[in-house]
Amino acid sequence: MARYLLSRLGQSLILLFIVSFIGFAVLTLAPGGPLSQFALSPGMTQEQIDKIASQMGLDRPVVVQYFDWLSHLVIGDWGTSYRDGQSVLHVIGSHLFATLLLMGTATVISVTLGSSIGIYSALRRGGAFDYTMTVFAMVALSIPTFWFGLIAIYIFSLNLGWLPAGNMYTVGDGSVLDYISHLIMPATVLALVDVAIWSRYMRTSTLNVVNQDFVRTAKAKGLTGRRVLFKHIVGNSLVPMITLAGLQLPMVLGGALVTETVFTWPGMGRLFLDSLGYSDYPVVMGLLMASAMLVLVGNLLADITVALIDPRIRLD
Amino acid sequence: MTDEKKNSAHLNRRQALMMMGAAGAALMTPMAIGRDKAFAANADATGQLVLAFSQEPTVFNPLMPHIEVDEGLYYAVYDTLFDFDPDGEFFPILAAEVPTVANGGISADGLNWTLKLKEGVTWHDGTPFTSEDVKFSLELTVDPDFRSFRSTGYKLMQDITVVSDTELTWTMSEPFAPMAAILASTYIVPKHVFDGVEDKNATILNTAPIGTGPFKFKNRMAGDHIELEANADYHMDGPFLKTLIIKYVPDLNVMYTQFKSGDIDVIGLQYITPDHLAEAEGLEGKEVTVAGTATFESIGLNMTRPQFQEKAVRQALYLAIDKTSIIDALYYGVPTPTETYMPQQSYYYNDDLPTHEFNIEKANALLDEAGWEMGSDGIRTKDGVRLYFSNSTTAGNHLREQAQQFIQQTFAMIGVEMTIKNFPPAVMWGDYWMNSEFDTVVVGLNTLAGADPDTSDYFMSTMSPALGGSGQNTFAYQNPKVDELLTAGAQNFVPEERKAIYEEMQAVIREDLPFLPMFQYAVVKGWKDDVTGPTPNVNNRIDSWNVRDWKRT
Amino acid sequence: MTTLSANSAERKPLIKSRALRRFLSHKLALIGTIMVLTLTFACFVGPYLLPYDELYIDLMSRFAPPGTNGHLFGTDPLGRDIAARLFHAGQISMAVGFAVMIIATCIGSVIGVISGYYGGAVSAVLMRVVDAFLSFPSVFLLLALAAFIQPGPVMIALIISATSWMEVARIVEAEVKSLRNQDFVQAAHMLGLSNRWIMFRELLPNAIGPIIVAATLTVARAILLEAYISFLGYGIQPPLPSWGNMLNGAQQYLATAPWLAIVPGVAITIAVAGFNFIGDGLRDAFDSRSDLG
Repeated sequence: MARYLLSRLGQSLILLFIVSFIGFAVLTLAPGGPLSQFALSPGMTQEQIDKIASQMGLDRPVVVQYFDWLSHLVIGDWGTSYRDGQSVLHVIGSHLFATLLLMGTATVISVTLGSSIGIYSALRRGGAFDYTMTVFAMVALSIPTFWFGLIAIYIFSLNLGWLPAGNMYTVGDGSVLDYISHLIMPATVLALVDVAIWSRYMRTSTLNVVNQDFVRTAKAKGLTGRRVLFKHIVGNSLVPMITLAGLQLPMVLGGALVTETVFTWPGMGRLFLDSLGYSDYPVVMGLLMASAMLVLVGNLLADITVALIDPRIRLD
Repeated sequence: MTDEKKNSAHLNRRQALMMMGAAGAALMTPMAIGRDKAFAANADATGQLVLAFSQEPTVFNPLMPHIEVDEGLYYAVYDTLFDFDPDGEFFPILAAEVPTVANGGISADGLNWTLKLKEGVTWHDGTPFTSEDVKFSLELTVDPDFRSFRSTGYKLMQDITVVSDTELTWTMSEPFAPMAAILASTYIVPKHVFDGVEDKNATILNTAPIGTGPFKFKNRMAGDHIELEANADYHMDGPFLKTLIIKYVPDLNVMYTQFKSGDIDVIGLQYITPDHLAEAEGLEGKEVTVAGTATFESIGLNMTRPQFQEKAVRQALYLAIDKTSIIDALYYGVPTPTETYMPQQSYYYNDDLPTHEFNIEKANALLDEAGWEMGSDGIRTKDGVRLYFSNSTTAGNHLREQAQQFIQQTFAMIGVEMTIKNFPPAVMWGDYWMNSEFDTVVVGLNTLAGADPDTSDYFMSTMSPALGGSGQNTFAYQNPKVDELLTAGAQNFVPEERKAIYEEMQAVIREDLPFLPMFQYAVVKGWKDDVTGPTPNVNNRIDSWNVRDWKRT
Repeated sequence: MTTLSANSAERKPLIKSRALRRFLSHKLALIGTIMVLTLTFACFVGPYLLPYDELYIDLMSRFAPPGTNGHLFGTDPLGRDIAARLFHAGQISMAVGFAVMIIATCIGSVIGVISGYYGGAVSAVLMRVVDAFLSFPSVFLLLALAAFIQPGPVMIALIISATSWMEVARIVEAEVKSLRNQDFVQAAHMLGLSNRWIMFRELLPNAIGPIIVAATLTVARAILLEAYISFLGYGIQPPLPSWGNMLNGAQQYLATAPWLAIVPGVAITIAVAGFNFIGDGLRDAFDSRSDLG
């Protein structure tokens, strides 16, 4: 186990290195740059822009800049935002809560709803409910999230006036109820796709369990349907779900990005877009690294958890 | 619930109308703007006001590179020495009086300056404000280790000498009339926070700014808002608000919706989109006004391109722009058509320039006459040069992209093919713009520093990076007459004489057409009718220039 | 060699016909096929039936609601006919989808087959590259790349391909790995056939089922991704229409001209759902175990 972990860790570090280098190269080699936003300011001159660029070290070769950045990253210094003048970790941290709140709520909705639909579909396989949910899941996976968000805004904010069209809370209010009313639409929109994914996987997973011997044995022993359902089926079908949850981690950033844009949610997705717009490379790189790490950690955790829970799998 | 809300809004509206009268009077008499604390004891600062911007202020050190929206915060937290009122007249803030040739603050040759400061001003942390802070701020702008926003003007200042706590002097290496305007946008920072700091780019000002302004920085919720509280010891009349919240709403529709619903009290930068003007004007309990800005929209031509060497071509292109339709239909009539770069509110505006007309026939005739022959592909050619070029602007600026496509269609009618090649802002305004790598652009420019008419950076032939210069003459425009006028104007301190110089220059540029002027921007501002104080000021980049005067009733 | 070909020739038609039979009996797949065919037909024939040009600007008839003056789906902020734009956009969006499918499938197959065939260090390196690409959140990579190039349909297709080939690579690698020790491969080795021949003529065709499924789903994914980046303003630029960029800016007019947002969104959903349905049908058709389900 320890050897396996070490080798996985080593591989992950190499991966991070590749990811960071590609990301850095793409960002720094591209035309434009963090100073172009000042080009239209009255009194700004090329001379001044060049001077600032040299002060910021932007005129050095890309490889030098990269290793400078990397050597700081290794000792825990993620750099300083060009835009804020604050440390990248601080900038990311200050947007973390909004994203976690949104993603957390969406995950709770999708896991509970998705699992229930999945289990029920599997137990009533081939029935009308199963079939409807299959079609629903496929359609849900086909709707562009942002468009679904727009339509939701059109109906619930503009026409019915029930829910606010954007933001996380009303300035000066900020009560729990206020947060919830702002949260409902983006969280539901975001959960839609995940409900579809979870219900499909849960259905397959449950089907696999239902067909296994121990469930038949349990039923044969005379255990009631409900007890079999909760003790044996649900528990065992959740094991593969942990893997899925691990693999879903990277979606935290990617999925939030578009939803946060549509609902002007002050989270990391918006931060990424804003930072990209201002060519705030340190923050963009920080988010890229953070999400790449999430992916790797997610994969690793999923593998380990499954190994711990399921005695049939051994990690060598 | 809803009825109650409406009723109270109605009451407020009536009260507010009375208050508006008072605010209007303030606008008429510049004397009333930015009054000294001595004039009136500070009324109790009460209430909260939410001012919304569609971009997020993030750079809190005002001497570092920043964008327009950051100044929205600076006016609340920091002070300048003096500033422009809406009429383009200076009024003192930290200065006891604005230095002029008349009061002896500036010597007749414009070289020796004496600046007197107010007494008894303190920084937000209680430290007294002195002339050392001013000297430090001015010198910081040219400090080689400091990431300074600009050095134009400052680098001409020599021997900055502290005479006393409230007086300092300096000499200019050459007479430079725009210097006062540059000082009017120079926020003074506290010297003491730089004491013992190794990296001047990384002081506490970046995160928790300390100024002398009407509001103290309280906290910032990144990506969302900044909270400021009243500075009880402010040295001028005001502030009249206990709490000022600068809210960041990245989407203009959401911002407008929140303004409508009352979550936002004053709608700031990027404002109400023109398509909402009619609706906004009918809103209960809101004041909505269209205000001109100093930014003018134009199609800039890269004058080094062979297509644009002939004046006839440039004039034909100008004739083929249906300005009226663009302004009336696409921009809902909000902006004002213009023939020049100078805002119409300016003292230096030349109102005698020839008026544009949209005339396809005339444009075609002009090109025929000049020998540009229509090819079989519908594009005109002369001496191997085809009237084919690209047009670029910021991708994602919808109104501008619409205008672009419309112009594309009318240009095709005169045998000109214009392709659209837009870029994200970081690419568009990088080398592509600065080094004149474009064919043509649609750009909104503010070429002025405050109310000063000098535009050497933009139109002097030596200021083009593409031609080896270092300024912002990205159109690569070269005209010896313009160079001569700009030089004369920058060394002249008599407004009447300068007016003649700059009016002549506008006529020359209108004749040359290095850019095809479209309109002077106007924006739709709005605030709740129980708010008084917000006043359009074409000489400042952002609304909060007089936030010290804002009140709620 | 003759025996080998005969062998595979014997196996393939069988699978094919069985697969086809299953596919045709899959209701969703049939619906999907009809949706995609109808939409394709509309996009390529529709423009000839409409009285309006997709680029013609008429400021006098801006924001006409659907149905006015023969504007089937109304007009946009420049008075252009939305139906005409929608169909032209469909040609572009679907072309991007298919281009991505071809590019991504080719890259994925080549990398997958090489990795699966050689195994060992080659496989380790190639699969780490796959992992590296997978650990980039695709929207991030897309935006980062798109922010710095001039985004035309070709570039957008290339960028989306760069984030879409990994799944095919994994599928092919797994399939080839499981086959490479089988008798017919050993036999091919003994006959002295080149590695290249074995990889691309013997092994790859055996993975054709899963590849087709993945390719179909890639079209759906590519259409969605194009819509995402164009919606955010980093994709295909106007005046060239795409389903995504028709939505870009629609949010602004949501209250006054909702059809600007509704029409292209429905088209995207139909196209993507269509390809997903087909993919689902194909998966069931190629997967013998699905008889159980």
